[in-house]
Order: sequence, then structure tokens, then C-alpha cells
Amino acid sequence: MDRRSALKRTGILAGATLALPTALSLLQACQSENRPEWTPEFLTAEEALLVSSLVDTLLPRTDTPGGLDVKADMFMDKVFARTYDAQSQQYLRENLASLDEACIAGYGEAFADLGETDREAFLKEEEARGGSFNPGVWGTSVGEQEPVSFYRNLKSMVVWAYVTSEEVGKNVLSYDPVPGAYKGCIPLSDVGYRWSL
Amino acid sequence: MANYNIDARKEMTYDAIVIGSGISGGWAAKELCEKGLKTLVLERGPIVEHVADYPTMNYDPWDMELREALTPEEKQKHYKGIRSGFIGKSVEHFFANDQENPYTEVKPFLWIRGHQMGGRSLLWGKQTYRWSDLDFEANALDGYGVDWPIRYRDIEPWYTHVEKFAGISGEALGLPQLPDSHFLPPMELNCVEKHVKSRIEDQFPGRHMIIGRVAHLTQPLNGRGQCQYRNRCSRGCPYGAYFSSNAVTLPAAQATGNLTIRPYSIAQSILYDEAKGQASGVRIIDAETGESMDYHSRIVFCNASTLSTTQILLNSKSNRFPEGMGNDSGELGHNLMDHTYRIGATARVPGFEDKYYSGRRPNGIYIPRYVNVDEASKSKDFLRGYGFQGGGYRGGNVANSQKIGAGFKEEVLRPGPWEFFITGFAECLPYHENKVTLDTTNTDKWGQPTLAIDCEFKENEKALNRQIRKDAVEMLEKAGLEDVMGFDNEHEPGYGIHEMGTARMGRDPKTSVLNGTNQVHGAKNVFVTDGACMTSSSCVNPSLTYMALTARAADHAVSELSKFNI
Repeated sequence: MDRRSALKRTGILAGATLALPTALSLLQACQSENRPEWTPEFLTAEEALLVSSLVDTLLPRTDTPGGLDVKADMFMDKVFARTYDAQSQQYLRENLASLDEACIAGYGEAFADLGETDREAFLKEEEARGGSFNPGVWGTSVGEQEPVSFYRNLKSMVVWAYVTSEEVGKNVLSYDPVPGAYKGCIPLSDVGYRWSL
Repeated sequence: MANYNIDARKEMTYDAIVIGSGISGGWAAKELCEKGLKTLVLERGPIVEHVADYPTMNYDPWDMELREALTPEEKQKHYKGIRSGFIGKSVEHFFANDQENPYTEVKPFLWIRGHQMGGRSLLWGKQTYRWSDLDFEANALDGYGVDWPIRYRDIEPWYTHVEKFAGISGEALGLPQLPDSHFLPPMELNCVEKHVKSRIEDQFPGRHMIIGRVAHLTQPLNGRGQCQYRNRCSRGCPYGAYFSSNAVTLPAAQATGNLTIRPYSIAQSILYDEAKGQASGVRIIDAETGESMDYHSRIVFCNASTLSTTQILLNSKSNRFPEGMGNDSGELGHNLMDHTYRIGATARVPGFEDKYYSGRRPNGIYIPRYVNVDEASKSKDFLRGYGFQGGGYRGGNVANSQKIGAGFKEEVLRPGPWEFFITGFAECLPYHENKVTLDTTNTDKWGQPTLAIDCEFKENEKALNRQIRKDAVEMLEKAGLEDVMGFDNEHEPGYGIHEMGTARMGRDPKTSVLNGTNQVHGAKNVFVTDGACMTSSSCVNPSLTYMALTARAADHAVSELSKFNI
């Protein structure tokens, strides 16, 4: 690590530590009562703050549940803990740190500490340089895949955690475990939100 | 269905032994049992009772703690198979353990195995197409491989026989290169597929797009329920709506009272009686205890799956067959084939925003072969041909959206844009040098030699793939689709999971392993009717042909037994 990154890294850690109580209380305030205590399996407190804030910004509560309501962040932590090997976990930590580092470099504070406007401004930059996933055919992506950013991968995981949660899968999306028939051409208005399964 | 007779200890001698209980082994068991033969089925894995042993069949994603994700240990267990993209938490228990069942990739080769009762019949794609004389005459016409000892007329009644019992849904088209089956009603195309079909058929005379012909019931049959459109087939179907040994052939065999199935039984070799000049039974290793024991029978059907069957034959050494049973020709283990896989095009479909579908159809579209089917369609760049599978659906990867917040969530919840893809399957030529050999230095946990697989696609397959990609892009563009992207993932052989050959049928014992009724040259009471027997690979899915060849060979076997010819 060169001097510059070392300084930046120190900065982010200091920033995160200082910001911790504020951010935690903010987060707790906007969360539903069904998650009073959460001890992440894998993420550190700072990392958990970043992931939870990202989930909340990407999929906020509206008239439908938000990402935090369905514990998308808690599920992601479990996935990091139990399905990533040691090397992937290491990359993940480095990437989460770099993401917040970039946020601090541009906006002066860790992502969790930013106001809504700054969060959106920061994510717009990430979106613009995120790349995109190629289409998939039967379980694997096809074609020559250009690099996709860590942020875009994380966003993809947030979506997965959200739509495969029981609350969204059963009560928000259109849920029909045993359709009984295939109808190949019906008005979208007969269904509404997309099929969950 | 319950209570298979699994007590193989009290009886060591049977009329018939069937090695393997997958698609072809299940058929052998049914046909032989129904013809009155006391039959022992040897299965190297556990019993998988229809319905009772489908633990994940009704799971929603959230019923699994990590949903479809695998732990590092599970990924390690499937460290080869995981390349296929098919192994998630809900189905991983039906894929063989790669660590306990090693093989050597001399050249890259993906070998997907299902080590349980029913084998890969639980996992297969269910696409079922008859082969035609275009396929059975192909080797004779261009000189690659040896001539098939049969023609379409020889197998035609057996296609009908197995189709009536298996239940194949589809639409008759009257194409000589893709003969019609005995069909149940076809599944439905969706509005986008109908649209693309008409555009392609208008602009490319001679090309057709049809709903896939599949081994899914579209109406009840023999007590089995029809497809409920859940698309959870590979977990096991509680309705028995798709064809598997577990739901269809093994219960029928069991109903005769003639079936014994022995789980955890690894066929080590087929025993050869030098005096009689025939096989006398099968030596097994009990996978749980490591104990070796011999079972005896008048006939043996070897249906362990293409490469495992050849592994057993190579391992069946005797004075008569020092290089493996039936290997007088030196062709045992050679001429390995697969289909090329995942070459095609994807596109976005403009319009139809207000249209959707209901039900999860376990099927897509099929475009039958249209090249090298006659003089007019002859290619100067390659031999043989290809067909396409594919489909239209509302998809899109919403994580590619640059939105965030409430607007993004709305996009996540709404159906995505219509997309369309087609992906080709090309015929692979039989090359002597594409082969498997016994690897005696790398043994498995039971001390048995493993397989070394040395196989590659060559210039003809690459030329076919170039044309597939070109045609796919051209068809989707002319159909008026947008953002058309051609692709070729350049997969090594094995990805098609259509491995064929290595114990080919032929007319001449000097150049083949099996005769025209699937009997091993030099051991006429041994029948090989799984993918190992295939003399060429066609471009269409092979399983229906294994079923028909098996029923045909079983009929011949019983006839020969009654005449005391074997």
C-alpha cells in the first residue's frame, strides 16, 4: 500500500468510527421494529452500516416494503459468511472499503453518513461507470462479458436478496406456486407485478 | 409407489441384470420384467423413491436458508459440475460428488453424473426428438465413423412403443429430417414466440419454429398427472408429469413383481465365462461397505451412462478379452461425441409491453435442422448440421438499470422487457482419437481405476459453430428484434451433457463393439443400450433414441433367450 492509500485508509476508518453512533441511531430510527438487534456474522459494524445504507437507498420503503424491511442486508451478511470462501471474503472487505473510500474522497463522509442527496449523487457516479451484465442463457451468461463494477455486483445481490425474500416473493410480487397451466398471451394488467417464481 | 424390493442378498442369481437405473436402465428393467424375467437392477447410489425422496420439490426460494446459494464445501463437492451453471441448492443432491468420483481431463471435458436411482433421468432437459435416416445414413454418406447397422425403419416401431408409455407432447410437422412422434397435445407458444416464428418462417423458406417436443405430460397418462407448470422438474416432480425412471419405468417394473433393485452397488466388471463364451454376471462393490460380490444372470444390460458403461467394459478383462470386454476391434473407449453447446444469439423484443404469460413452462421453441438436408441446402463449409432451442420471455437483468431509490424498486417489481434467445446444438463427428482410457494410477475411494477423457471439438464442429452464430444473429435481426448479440461461449465437450459413443454399434466386428441389436461382439448376452452405443451423434437430443434402442434390444434379448441362442 502506498502512502496515499494508507492515509486514505486511515481516514476512512477514523471517519467511520467517529460516525458510528450517529449513523447507527439514524439507521435504527428508520428501521422497522422487527430488527432491534443484529449482530452480523461476517460484516464488521462499519461494513454492515455501508451495506444496510446501500440497501436502504437502493430499495427504500414506499407503499411496498423496502430492502431493510425484508432484511436484505442481514441475508447478504449470511451469504457472505457462509457461501464465500476466504479469498472472496477478503476481496469483499477490500471492495467495501474502497467503495466507502471513494465516497469519502468525493463527499467527505462515509456513505452511511451522507444525506439523501449526496448518497444519490455518489451512486449516480457509480452507476455511470458500473458496466452491465450480459444476458444469461440457462444459468450462465453469454457473450464476451466486459468487467462489471463491484457496486453493480452488490446491486445485483441486493435485488436477489429482496425479490427472493418471503415477504416480497409471497405478498408483493405475483405468487403462484402451482400455476396448473401455461397461458402464453394474457394482458399484463391481469397480473400486475411480475411473477415471483 | 413404495417398497422397492432391495433385498438382493437372499438371491444371487437372476434372469437378467441391468447395470444402472437412469433413462435407458429404467427402460431395460421395465421391458425385461414385463416379459417375465427376474431382473436385478444395480444402482451405484441411493434409492430415490418417487415423491418421497424429492425433499426440495415444494421449496420456495425463502424456504432454503441461503436460497439457491451453495456453501464453499458444497461448491468443492461439485467443483467440476458447477461449471454447467445447473447446480444450485435445490438440486445439488442429485448431482454426483466430484471429489469422490474423480476423472482426469486430458483435455477439458465436463462430465455431469447423477449417482442415484433414476440417475440423470431426474435432471434431463426432456427434449425428445426422433432421429431420421438423415442421421442413420450420415456416416455411410460422408465416410466419418462406421455405418449404423440400422435404419429408421428398424427403430420406428420402437419409437412409437416408448413414446406411448413415456408421454411426449408436441406438434406434428411432417418433416423428413425430424419425424413426428406419437404426440400428446403440444404446449403453447407465447405471443412473442408466435410473432418471431411468423417473421422467421416468412423470410427463411425451409425453416420452422415449433414448440419443443418434450417428455412432459400435457394430459394425464397411466395414473400420472399432467404438468402443473411449476418448472421445478430437476427437484423431482410430485405429479410424475415428466418422464423419469423414478416416476415411470421403475414403478412399472416393480409392479410385475420381478424387480429387485440393489442400491449402493458399483458395477466393477462384467464376469465372462470362457467355456460358454458369454457373460455370467456382474461383480459389484458395495459402495458403503467396500465388500465385493458376484451376481449371476443369463443376460446383462449395461446402462450405466455412456462413459461409465465403457469404464465397466474396459475394466472387464478376461483371457478372451485382455483389453476389455468387446474390445476386439480396439474401438472400445473411442469415438466419443457430444453436441456443441451455447452458441447463438440473444435480443430484445420491441413492443408487447402490455402482454404477459402465466405459468412456468418447462420448455421452449425448437428450430429443426435446415442445412445439409438436401442438395439445395448443402453447405460447402461443413458436414452434418444443427438445430436451435430457445424462447421468448420477460426478463432483463434489472441490476443493469441505472436507477436508484423508489423508481428503481418499481422497476424491480415490474416485469422486465421481452427478450428472445436461440442457442444451437451441432452434430459432432465421431473421431477415433476422441477417447477415454482407464487410468490405473488415479484410483477412486473404492480402489477402482478412473477414466481419463481425451476429447476435443475439431475443425468441422468449429465451422458448424461459426455458421450457428451467423444464422442466429441473422434470424433474430430479420425478425425485427433489437440489440441482437451473437455469442459463442466456446465450451469444451461435455457441456451438452449428450455424451455419446465409445462402444459403438456397427456392421463389422472388426470396427465396432456392438452389433445391430446392441449385443457385444463376442459376448452376445451383454447388451449396451445407453449413449455408449451411438455410432454418430445427430444434432438432435438423444435420449428418446436410447429409450427406443433399449426396448428393441430387450425384445430381441428375450426372443434369443427363448430360442436358447444366448
